[in-house]
Amino acid sequence: MDRRALLRGIALAITASGTLELEAAQHVHSETTAEKAKNGTYKLKEFTAAEFKTLERLAELIVPADKVSGSAKDAGAPEFIDTLSSQNGTLADLFHGGLAWMDAEMRKRHSSGFVAAKPEQQTAMLDLLVEAGRLEAERRSEELVYQKAPVYKEFSNYTVKREHELAVGARFFDWARKMTVDAFYTSAIGIKDLGYLGNKVLSKYEVPKEALEYALKRSPFANG
Amino acid sequence: MQQNPRSQEVYDVVVVGSGAGGGTAVHVLTAKGLKVALLEAGPMLNPYTEFLEHKMPYEYDHRGAEEGGKAYFGKGKPFGFFSTTSGGWQLDGEPYTVGEGSQFQWFRSRIIGGRTNHYGRMSFRFAEYDFRPYDKDGLGTNWPISYQDISPYYDKAEEFIGVCGSIENVPSCPDGKFHPAPAPRVHEVLVKKACDKLNITCIPNRRAVIHKPTNGRAPCHYCGQCGRGCQTASAYSSSQVQVFPAMKTGRLQVFDMAMAREVLTDNNGKATGVLYIDKRTRTEKTIRAKAVVLAASACESTRILLNSKTKEFPNGLANGSGLLGRYLMDTVGFGLSGYVPALEGMPQYNTDGNGGAHLFMPWWLWDKHQKLDFPRGYHIEIGGGYSVPGIGSYHGAAARLGYGADMKTKIREGYGASIGFAGRGEMIPNIHSYCELDPNVVDKWGIPVLRFHFKWTDYEWKQARHMEKTFNEIITAMGGRVSGLSAAQRESNGISVPGSIIHEVGGARMGTSMKNSVLNGYCQAHEMRNLFVMDGGSFVSNPDKNPTLTINALAWRACDYLAEEMKKGNV
Repeated sequence: MDRRALLRGIALAITASGTLELEAAQHVHSETTAEKAKNGTYKLKEFTAAEFKTLERLAELIVPADKVSGSAKDAGAPEFIDTLSSQNGTLADLFHGGLAWMDAEMRKRHSSGFVAAKPEQQTAMLDLLVEAGRLEAERRSEELVYQKAPVYKEFSNYTVKREHELAVGARFFDWARKMTVDAFYTSAIGIKDLGYLGNKVLSKYEVPKEALEYALKRSPFANG
Repeated sequence: MQQNPRSQEVYDVVVVGSGAGGGTAVHVLTAKGLKVALLEAGPMLNPYTEFLEHKMPYEYDHRGAEEGGKAYFGKGKPFGFFSTTSGGWQLDGEPYTVGEGSQFQWFRSRIIGGRTNHYGRMSFRFAEYDFRPYDKDGLGTNWPISYQDISPYYDKAEEFIGVCGSIENVPSCPDGKFHPAPAPRVHEVLVKKACDKLNITCIPNRRAVIHKPTNGRAPCHYCGQCGRGCQTASAYSSSQVQVFPAMKTGRLQVFDMAMAREVLTDNNGKATGVLYIDKRTRTEKTIRAKAVVLAASACESTRILLNSKTKEFPNGLANGSGLLGRYLMDTVGFGLSGYVPALEGMPQYNTDGNGGAHLFMPWWLWDKHQKLDFPRGYHIEIGGGYSVPGIGSYHGAAARLGYGADMKTKIREGYGASIGFAGRGEMIPNIHSYCELDPNVVDKWGIPVLRFHFKWTDYEWKQARHMEKTFNEIITAMGGRVSGLSAAQRESNGISVPGSIIHEVGGARMGTSMKNSVLNGYCQAHEMRNLFVMDGGSFVSNPDKNPTLTINALAWRACDYLAEEMKKGNV
């Protein structure tokens, strides 16, 4: 049981004198999806095995393993997307459709689906979607400003632009990416990767001197 | 009419609403030996089962995105799954409407303790000059009370609820009775140094968080997640600090799921109680009392009064002036974030502290208004540090960085190096900003709903531009760079949506006569001696000080007065 799991079982009670007393309470632990994934007991709820493989590959590409920590696949991102999709038809359709679109697009280009394609073919596709997403975001924000503030017309050469031809893929990738990134950084692996140390009970609060000195030295206030 | 058997009992006082005002009222009144009934439109609260304190996102399959990923579709809880809000901008079956050409958002909590369960706990006293705004710049209206009138009640409120801070002698933000303030974090030290350079006052923050044992409450244990609710009540909430202890006196009867519709009156100019809808049974019930205290929130109390129409009071109760609903205000909000390379790669530490910022900047140009193009001030709140990762924390970074090893490294390196500033400024009440009953709509309890009208004027827009310029200067002085708004976005989003800062006050303002106001300086209706409004409704202006502490103090003062008047037989 890790530190967090221990904390979960701690109930705080106040004594009459108003001091803090930590009291370990009985706690019934139910296995979370992330743990089931780790233990190999996860059962698919929404996606087919082939769809899930694609989600796994996307998770490895979006947040890959490196020398600090594991990948988003290790952090349970595919299981996270599967679980939420099984509870929400809109989300499920978004992923079913998006995954099918991406496989079809890959077959058009490389005569194989996403998972079977070469790694460089896979990243080439993601690069295209990232670029399409960037252009789409630019177009949409311009349009929004134009709609909200007609006066903007006067100092921009705004013209209504057409959607990017890969707009649908870019939108799907944005969903896959944001849910994968969320799953990673809200996992025990991701939180350790960032080094977050809070959300716990302390009896006093101190700011370490070495942190302060480090930042001051690098700031414009290095000399006072 | 259906009758609650209990309603045959006549209470000394019935209080509607259990937030900062109602919580203070039941505490003070029961302590004086009065028998009190408290109506709350939401359910009872159990902090031990409902507050998600100390939980980590991976303890939930949805990680905080909620069942079916509601948060991704804008349908999650307003401040995230882990926050303890019980309410939101929209409540099922309890709508409000907004007049054409206006924007307004109304946040309502339906639970014992109301919004105090999750609010930011910023606790600033109004300054002496805040009570005489008209004398200062010829705009708005003076309060009928002075700083000297309320100062002893700020003392009482601070000592009872517990506020941390430090003695600084800043005229725009008077000192109070403080618990020791926690040490500034590294990013806040850099902010302070930048402010010193720019001649901006930057001092320890003042929040309703205790740092020594107080009335059986344990001091802050620095988990840093006050918005989730605090099981040890180290962060003030009216539910835990005032309502629950008042229940233990045996003199408080709580009626939860009780939606007040109107104040009942006799034909002799006296309030006799409150008519409410019992939400569990959908039946009308009444509570009889010798005095009625509305503390349902500025707009909800206004709504109850507007709905309390009789032959004698055809425009609603206490509305002889016709001003009920008028002079509605929110706080002017603007935020800007930046990236500070000096913080990159710093030896990591726990920056959660006591939950909020440890420093803040009170209005520093209070005596230099002749050099500014806007009339009133603002204070600055600071955000930053290594915050708990959650759903959405890295959507922006991911969209900017693409994907892959490079994105992962940059997110790690940039963690904790971002800084944010939020300005919280004073608006001038204006004739375009008010609420009224919408003649076309009732809620699911059959109660006519409010229709809001609201406009910012040039005073507020110019103040927001000053905030932007200032935040830019502070970020730059820290050696950082501004991230966030582009010039084009600013054109349309340069100021907060009215209501969204959740500092809505006014609507039943106090004043010197029944011609210019709804209430007198004791929050007592000019037209009805045993009717009081003890929430933000009484505010004449909305200084750049978050309203809760002043609601606590005004309610405390009003209750002292009410108890005294009852003793004398005047109420």
